[in-house]
Amino acid sequence: MKKLLKLIGLPAALLLTLSLFACGEPPQEEKKAEEPAKTEEAQAPAEEANVVKVGFIYVSPVGDAGYSYAHDLGRQAVDALPYATSKYAESVPEGADSERVLRNMAREGMDIIFATSFGYMDPVMKVAKEFPETKFMHCSGFKKGPNVSNYFGRIYQARYLTGLIAGSMTKTNKLGYVAAFPIPEVIRGINAFALGARQANPEVKVHVVWTKTWYDPALEKDAAKSLLDSGCDVITQHQDSPAAQEAAQEAGAYAIGYNSDMSSFAPKANLTSAIWNWGPMYVKTVEEIRDGTWKGDQSTWWSMKDGVVDIAPMGAMVPDDVRSMVNAEKAELMAGKDTVFAGPVKNQAGEVAIAEGTTPDDGALLGMDWFVEGVVGTTN
Amino acid sequence: MLKIRKREEPWKWGALVVFLGALLFSLVLSALLLKGQGKDALYGMTVLWQGSFGNVWSLEDVLLKAIPLFLCSLGVAVAFRMQIWNIGAEGQFALGAIGATWMALAFPDLPRFVLLPLMFIMAFILGGLWALIPAVLRLKLRVNEIISTLMLNYIAILLLDYLVFGVWKDPASFGFPMTPEFTEGAIIPGIAGGRVHWGIVFCVVVGSGLWAFMRFTRLGFELTASGGGARVARYAKIRYGMLVLLVMGLSGGFAGWAGCVETSAVLNRLQPSLMVGYGYTAIVVAWLARLEPLNIAFASFFLAALRVGVENMQLKLQIPAAFGTIMEGIILLTVLAGQFFLTYKLVRKPRQE
Amino acid sequence: MWDFLIPLFAATVQSGTPILYATLGEMMTEKGGVLNLGVEGMMAVSALAAFWVSFMTGSPWLGFLAGGFAGMVMGFLHAFVCVSCLGNQVVSGLALTILGGGLTHFLGVPYVGLAAPGFNPFNFPLLSQVPVLGDIFFKHDMLVYVSFVIPVLFWFFFRRTSLGLHVAATGEMPAAAAAVGLKPIRLRYFAVIAGGFLIGLGGAYLSLAYTHLWTNGLSGGRGWIAVALVIFAFWRPGRAVVGAYLFGGVMAFQLRLQAAGTHLPSSLLLMLPYLLTILVLILSAWRGRRIDAPAALGTNIEPEG
Repeated sequence: MKKLLKLIGLPAALLLTLSLFACGEPPQEEKKAEEPAKTEEAQAPAEEANVVKVGFIYVSPVGDAGYSYAHDLGRQAVDALPYATSKYAESVPEGADSERVLRNMAREGMDIIFATSFGYMDPVMKVAKEFPETKFMHCSGFKKGPNVSNYFGRIYQARYLTGLIAGSMTKTNKLGYVAAFPIPEVIRGINAFALGARQANPEVKVHVVWTKTWYDPALEKDAAKSLLDSGCDVITQHQDSPAAQEAAQEAGAYAIGYNSDMSSFAPKANLTSAIWNWGPMYVKTVEEIRDGTWKGDQSTWWSMKDGVVDIAPMGAMVPDDVRSMVNAEKAELMAGKDTVFAGPVKNQAGEVAIAEGTTPDDGALLGMDWFVEGVVGTTN
Repeated sequence: MLKIRKREEPWKWGALVVFLGALLFSLVLSALLLKGQGKDALYGMTVLWQGSFGNVWSLEDVLLKAIPLFLCSLGVAVAFRMQIWNIGAEGQFALGAIGATWMALAFPDLPRFVLLPLMFIMAFILGGLWALIPAVLRLKLRVNEIISTLMLNYIAILLLDYLVFGVWKDPASFGFPMTPEFTEGAIIPGIAGGRVHWGIVFCVVVGSGLWAFMRFTRLGFELTASGGGARVARYAKIRYGMLVLLVMGLSGGFAGWAGCVETSAVLNRLQPSLMVGYGYTAIVVAWLARLEPLNIAFASFFLAALRVGVENMQLKLQIPAAFGTIMEGIILLTVLAGQFFLTYKLVRKPRQE
Repeated sequence: MWDFLIPLFAATVQSGTPILYATLGEMMTEKGGVLNLGVEGMMAVSALAAFWVSFMTGSPWLGFLAGGFAGMVMGFLHAFVCVSCLGNQVVSGLALTILGGGLTHFLGVPYVGLAAPGFNPFNFPLLSQVPVLGDIFFKHDMLVYVSFVIPVLFWFFFRRTSLGLHVAATGEMPAAAAAVGLKPIRLRYFAVIAGGFLIGLGGAYLSLAYTHLWTNGLSGGRGWIAVALVIFAFWRPGRAVVGAYLFGGVMAFQLRLQAAGTHLPSSLLLMLPYLLTILVLILSAWRGRRIDAPAALGTNIEPEG
């Protein structure tokens, strides 16, 4: 009996396993047969425009209400276009895995792929060489090539505005910043926030706590609480979860969110949020692909004027005079006048780091690794 | 009335049957999970298969992923055989990467045939040392190695962060946490200019070496035959303490080599994204392979294929990346449960009144 | 000085609470002789279950219980694999951690970034007015107050109830327990499942009280700390409280150091909790009290042929 079972069991298991795979084939072929028919119908009214296939890779899960979520909202804007379709891969670790995913997307015939995290830089460059016909856009990096351009957004402009609000609303003159990693974009944001805050209120100090994670709500809340306990009464963050907002509301303090409008998490505390709005930029880029005007080897920093960065509507608790001040500054930024980092700007040690009358170029901003005066904390 | 009876002799083909049965069961469960999320399960399974084995480049991808997994698993298996629960492969992997980077940054201009061996040696040393800490703690202070190796994982990753954010940061990287790119001499080249690198030959050499050690030396034989633990020391006539140190050092060294290979051949520099959890998956691999080097080769290939295939599923079905982890967990649990049947069998006994 | 210490201690209590629940849960399981390394995965799944139920029903208490229930289910899995199928306890626990982590990532996608009704801190009547101690212990949410009671119940269970004594006997010598007519297998199942319930409560705390959110990675390594703390506590509930608060305190402390503007690199500060855990284990072993471990911990009960 046992021998029989063994004899049958083994090959049966193998057969069953293989048949599972075999059975899967027909649906795929049917799907393929359907697609050409559909796209042909869609194409008929839309002149001879081809469908632009757009790929996105994210470093974290899409649903996190944070960084990748903001990019995904932009992707959905692309999806809504009649002449484009999109696909995405989330939680793709930077490094070897991302190379693989990029290659797979390129092989699938994507016309353009957006790699939305800094760590994808080297993989993008490698894969771009192997697929010269595919176009690549890398977010927040600095390398480019014939078919690779990079892009980022001047979220620091939004941070500056939020700093103005924070500086105006604080009673203790201590602002808290829950920050993830001491990389330039985070440091830049902190600096812009501090510059804005001290412009509204020169007595203000910005205390920074590093969590060394993009994504740990419990730790973020603890960090926020440690800032609140030390006397900060406005908390902001460069993190992907709204935990710090909750902490502020529980302590009866104010909070400023990031990535998307976080007011729903802390309606009594949330003053505003520094938000991304990638939709317009992604749509514009896809249009360029369609029209054949896309250029490689470019570095583009999208700004408030382009609608890519913004601040969420200010909460009801923001008084009118603060509101109008912020709106005035915002109008300047919208008109293209960016004086956020205009000199003179001193660093933490009190030395002049940006001379009077000068503004740092994008390269200096991209690599910013020092804190301005008024920031309390280390850059490591 | 079913009763449990111990087998007189182990079930010969049992391990394979259990494994395949567990695999089948896991596939079915996973398929049900997919269905529950509203996805086409059969299509999903096809995509999984094609993602791993569908074409040459996927196979290359699987091989590339299997290499560090294989080395880590060898290390884990060696320790587990002695019933030393080394959960620290992840941290030892990191230390190996740090060791390799140290050499690469300190001697960038050395020729490849000098620098690479240097990197491997330092990776082995640092990885081994990282494993020796919990070994010594266990020997001298009876500290549970499960906890100490695990805590050292977290500490190792923070150490890596500290280095790449601080002293080893590339001045040309615009402030981003990564070391400078390695020079030619520090990079393991691809075989015949292809993507699969010489690391795979290294794996074959190390794997065969370990297999030979297990088969032909007294100590190796005891590790295999005497069922692990303190008995090994008695039969091999080595002091238990020395054995623990030797085994853990080896275990950490292997994981360190995995870190060296990944950093040198794949990333060409040290950065935090090096850590993708090979150290933990290695435990799954080692256990599925019943701690034997030859099986480890298959198991690491299999689990690497699972990961690569699941990525394909993510792309085509737009399901979360965690699906692969779920499958790993279910496979391991069902294999564990199924292994019951290797030592015991269910017998029908007449009801006795 | 007190301005720094009192909020620190208060944060310690809150930070230590989920760890306390989990530590007691693991302790229950280990008293029965089963090692459970799946705490991390169980906390993650429980956090999601608790969040989901609270979100769907609007009742945080139901969510809290649901978290416990999820812990019980996972505990049952572990018990089945180890106690009935005699699977290796170490590997089974690890498999649970892997599975739990994956399940929560996978199933939790629609719930990331949403908020559910949870527990909010309030001042405990009368007791919160006590100077110093009131600020530290009695200005928290309900689940913290519940956690004050659990160690007492735990002690009572093992010292004064026959079921507790039976479980402990199984943990020490299952063969002897069987010889006097106890049923070690059932007792082990109980220990693992009851322990799972407590662990689940700890996970529920994370998504219902600690934050009102659910996102990936909520358990953050706390499950592993719990396993270490059981050793530190010499398998006694009183010391578990000390250990949990100690650990919570270190985590809170390093953050406050940063907020105060220290120049120490944050990577090194973040190592403190883990270094402390190792230190704690070294100190415990030094005292030579390993005899407190249940003698049959980690071994499986072979069925009679």
